[in-house]
Amino acid sequence: MSKHRVSRRQFLSYTLTGVGGFMAAGMLMPMVRFAVDPVLRAEESGSFTPTKQKVDELTSKPVRVDFTFKQKDAWYESEVTSTAWVYKDDNGKIMALSPVCKHLGCTVGWNTSKEHPNQFFCPCHYGRYEKDGTNIPGTPPLAPLDEYPYKEKGGYLYLGQAKPRKEA
Amino acid sequence: MKWIPNDIEMYINAKEFVDTAVVALHPVSFGDEMKQSASMHDFITLLTNQLERQFTGRMVLFPAYSYLKKGRMDKPLEELLEWERSLKENEFKHIFYITSDSDWRMQESSLTGALLWMPLLPLESMDESQKVSLIGSQVKQLQNLFTQKWRENQ
Repeated sequence: MSKHRVSRRQFLSYTLTGVGGFMAAGMLMPMVRFAVDPVLRAEESGSFTPTKQKVDELTSKPVRVDFTFKQKDAWYESEVTSTAWVYKDDNGKIMALSPVCKHLGCTVGWNTSKEHPNQFFCPCHYGRYEKDGTNIPGTPPLAPLDEYPYKEKGGYLYLGQAKPRKEA
Repeated sequence: MKWIPNDIEMYINAKEFVDTAVVALHPVSFGDEMKQSASMHDFITLLTNQLERQFTGRMVLFPAYSYLKKGRMDKPLEELLEWERSLKENEFKHIFYITSDSDWRMQESSLTGALLWMPLLPLESMDESQKVSLIGSQVKQLQNLFTQKWRENQ
């Protein structure tokens, strides 16, 4: 036995400080986490969704790229698959267009109309768009196709939220 | 357009562009066939939802018609004919029924709308990517059928 006898008062104050410390930490930690959370979130890739498309495999011909993300609909979370038409334009810049027709929301196809090759074609009301997404006057759509912002990461294409473009 | 308030509002504003109605037919059975009728429900729901995504602007995907399966088909048929009348009165020129229940094929001649019978695929034994590509190819076939029908009656 050591010479230092711990008095009852000392023992109690040690344990109280210890337990109190733990309790304070337990209360403060979540608060700190909440405060710092926005900073941590910015580290993630934002709202960009990875696709299986390799960037260097893209050509000037639009290809269909499917990607899946989680969507929260009230209390129901579901996986949603979206599609993009992706190609490289004449300057080698990547274009990712939304396939949703600006008329009433059907899905447009690339080069699916025999009479109008090399255009985006909507099978519902025969709306048409140029390769760069511009709506062709005289067909039902009144705006160009939406465009996805994109990122390249590890050779793969990441797509964000489709954004409407200015009137062409 | 789906059977949700937002889409139906869109439909009301763009009625002249929407001339196609799609109704899924779901049999409900008990006993030995209970599981199969559930698989049919699952499969047809997936299929019609995908189809709706392709043709949002020209079709309304109605709530599915579910009926108790007890041998005779005359009761479900009678009710479906009632649906058909209402759809026609409301200017749906093209009506499509999609089902996996083969009993409807015998009733096809009594219906004005097109009956599309899709053989049931065993989706529960597949992984996600297989499922997606399979449903995708089925939807593609349906798409051709739809566009053909639209072209015929232009």
